[in-house]
Amino acid sequence: MGPGVLSRIADLRAWIFLVLLLIFFETWANVAYGVTFIGNTYNLQSIGIFATAPLLLALGQTFVIISAGIDLSVGFTMGLAAVVSAHVANLGMSHFGLNPLLAMLLGLLSGIAVAFIPGLVNGWLIARLRVPPFIGTLGMYGIARGAAFLIAGGMTVPVSNEWFAYIGNGRIYGVPILVIIAVVVIFLMHYLLSQTKFGQHTYALGASRVAAVRSGINVGGLTMRIYLLAAVCAGLAGALYSARFTAGAAQAGEPLLLSSIAAVVIGGASLFGGSGTIAGTVAGALVIAVIEYGLVFINVEPFWQFIAVGVVIIISVLVDQSQRKLLGGRQDD
Amino acid sequence: MTEPLLDVRGVSKYFGGVHALEDVSMDLHAGEVVALAGDNGAGKSTLIKAISGVHKVDRGDILLEGKPVTYESPQQARDHGIETIYQDLALADNLSIGANIFLGREPKRKAFGFLPVLDRGLMADAAKETMRRLDFHVDRLSAPVSAFSGGQRQAVAIGRAIYWNAKILIMDEPTAALGVPEQRKVIALIKSLKEQGKGVIFISHNLGDIFAVADRIVVLRRGIKAGERKPDETTGDEIVRLMVGG
Amino acid sequence: MRTWEGWRPADVGWPAPKRRPNMDVIGTFVAVGSDKEWEEYMIQRRSFLGLMGAAGAAAGTGLLTTQAALAQDKKFTIALVPGLTTDAFYITMHRGAQAAADALGQDLLFQGASEWNVTLQVPVLDAVIARNPAAILIAPTDKVQLVEPLKKAHAAGITVVCVDTFIGTGVFQTGSGDADFPISYVASDNVLGGVMAARALAKSIGEKGKVYVSNVKPGISTTDQREEGFKKEMANHPNIEILETQFNDDDANKAAAQVQAVIGRVPDLAGVFGANLFSASGTANGVKQAGKQGVVKIAAFDAPQSVVQELKDGTFEIVIAQHPAEIGYFGFVSAFAHLTGNPVPTLIGTGFTVMTKDNIDDPDIAKYLYTG
Repeated sequence: MGPGVLSRIADLRAWIFLVLLLIFFETWANVAYGVTFIGNTYNLQSIGIFATAPLLLALGQTFVIISAGIDLSVGFTMGLAAVVSAHVANLGMSHFGLNPLLAMLLGLLSGIAVAFIPGLVNGWLIARLRVPPFIGTLGMYGIARGAAFLIAGGMTVPVSNEWFAYIGNGRIYGVPILVIIAVVVIFLMHYLLSQTKFGQHTYALGASRVAAVRSGINVGGLTMRIYLLAAVCAGLAGALYSARFTAGAAQAGEPLLLSSIAAVVIGGASLFGGSGTIAGTVAGALVIAVIEYGLVFINVEPFWQFIAVGVVIIISVLVDQSQRKLLGGRQDD
Repeated sequence: MTEPLLDVRGVSKYFGGVHALEDVSMDLHAGEVVALAGDNGAGKSTLIKAISGVHKVDRGDILLEGKPVTYESPQQARDHGIETIYQDLALADNLSIGANIFLGREPKRKAFGFLPVLDRGLMADAAKETMRRLDFHVDRLSAPVSAFSGGQRQAVAIGRAIYWNAKILIMDEPTAALGVPEQRKVIALIKSLKEQGKGVIFISHNLGDIFAVADRIVVLRRGIKAGERKPDETTGDEIVRLMVGG
Repeated sequence: MRTWEGWRPADVGWPAPKRRPNMDVIGTFVAVGSDKEWEEYMIQRRSFLGLMGAAGAAAGTGLLTTQAALAQDKKFTIALVPGLTTDAFYITMHRGAQAAADALGQDLLFQGASEWNVTLQVPVLDAVIARNPAAILIAPTDKVQLVEPLKKAHAAGITVVCVDTFIGTGVFQTGSGDADFPISYVASDNVLGGVMAARALAKSIGEKGKVYVSNVKPGISTTDQREEGFKKEMANHPNIEILETQFNDDDANKAAAQVQAVIGRVPDLAGVFGANLFSASGTANGVKQAGKQGVVKIAAFDAPQSVVQELKDGTFEIVIAQHPAEIGYFGFVSAFAHLTGNPVPTLIGTGFTVMTKDNIDDPDIAKYLYTG
């Protein structure tokens, strides 16, 4: 029973981190300022909004990392989508005379649609031409970035559309719409990963490409769909960025790339592929958001934020490795 | 004499100027184990790849239950009941036994009456039943196969083949990576496949294994069939002589 | 609040900073130091500004002036290597340099990397050096790491002018140190910019309350100086408390979460200085998410077109616009002046414009918006 329980705890480590962090910040807020941290819905809303964009990138990245790949281009795919959705929403009103609601929908959909291009090209490079994912998506990183800056003309692209601003900043019963969208996407991704052939084959591909091929899985098509999914998640993140800031910026997603990969790893995925869950990724993204928000809330010197996130990543990887050893040691039972 | 399950007639395969196979014939009956012996480069791999649909032959015919066949892909061969079991890289280590058996052909059920989801219960039941048929009893059906031993994993790979009603199993060095007790288990497994009426082609370097389980031994040397013997009519020395020539 | 031109040296606490003895803020004409330095400086300035006028005249009449005529038989190529090519600030700077090149009848070569990154900028610089221009105007992406690559240019006889950012200490032609070879540093006086943001923000929050700086990350000369100026000026406002600076890595999402967290702890936060574009726009969104729009006042640095709307709807209280076109223009002219044998000030500060919702419709103000 010992190893089973330990391995269960290891699987839940991101959630355990999260609970410990919340206890830590709650205690500190009480002792130092006499206020509650988690009892304050304002804090929860703020953290929810903060976590949304990196989480959307991380959800798509979870599939890629489970398949033993990596997608470095999602940050600029997000930027490209942000710029395109802002432009299209503007054009919809100024050139096609659409009302703001339709222009908003067209803008958001265009942002998601344009993300198909980097997604399909990544998939094609990696699946058909067998380019290593790190290199293929690094190339796409440059291309998406160039395209985003070209379309933006070196500026941010402001949008003046009340529906756009509503999607990005509105609330329904006190819950930010961004958070509602994120929750819907979380459930969708959880379903895809845990309950469909697509998810099952993604795990198999990450464990052994050869085994996947020998099982008759169309590995090329599968790879295409995985990178397409990652790009579409980034496209949604970009479109929502434009909605929230009522402006599209080419560099919108660039600073989020590393934290999105960190969220997946803290969430229990291995960069060697084959493991990871949506629930873990959600917890990983929340861990990062809570650390960064909480340290500002309790007024800790900003540089501790970097140290704290770094420490959590390292602990997470160490837990992963010891878990592997544990499993590796159980060959004959 | 019954019609053979598999009949390979005068098959040749060339890679550029290299004659990988030259006019090789062999057959396999239901409930029979044929061992394929030969030195490295003798053409064993080329022959099984020709049978399992990886390579197309340049000359000669392959007949399955009397009908000539050509396969465009290993998948087509598998659909006709020819399964190849590799000594490693055959399984997705992170998935359960059931998920491996069904990999690529996962069963679905409807959750809440409308939402298609993977039928994990069916996969677990099938896994238990299949492993029982092979005389391997496992209870941790949700554990990933990396948690099991080498022999158990070999059994999972074989179990997958018989679950999908393979008629012919091609086994490439099934005992090579295993310890002695595990090797015995796999040999027992092959015997039980034979009792279930499967045809088994079995590549090995280990003469002990060959003599323990094979009904016939086909020896290849430099792409040519050097001879065919029954275990009780030959000796290890003779087989080795056929393999190395002279 | 009027434009920057309305300011007098005394208003901005000048000439307190002795660290820049021969600073010249073009337009406001601010200079400090001893009388002797003043004299020397005035001489330099007169001839330099004479050349500036000449450039203007050349542009107006198509005639070359005496100084420019010296160079008539030899047309100079002057390169501009920006910090990054994809930013409106540098795009606008490029326009300014092009205007100077056209006015003086010289050639401009514009080459840069698409990202603010030393390892990307150095190869571009090497390629530019290989084309052997007469002068290079560069916005170095690092104070230290660009010294050696630029020394190569200097050794090849190429005149080096730093624009926007600098190498070494930013104090050039002193004869000491190994990074004093650029002939001039042309930039917004970012300390002054921070001072102006502080004054404007202090006024709009009624001279009392808590404020903080939302900054990119430590180690960037320009944004560090804005923060420095802001804090120094705020020290003169006794009822204003400055909280810990928050660093956001140029991530608007993070800047937003930070201001939300600060408001969570300090509900009476009065104002924030966003030291660059994303610091300011992220902070503005966080304030909006916290339901404090109009209550927490924001002073923003940098002025793309979108700030017009943001000033009008109350997102920003104040926008400090740099004059990147002037940086490009004066950078080009000072390189040309040096090449034609004229003395050039070692430090040239360009001005700022303070934009508010009350003045943004004025074309004299709106012309300082950055354009692509």
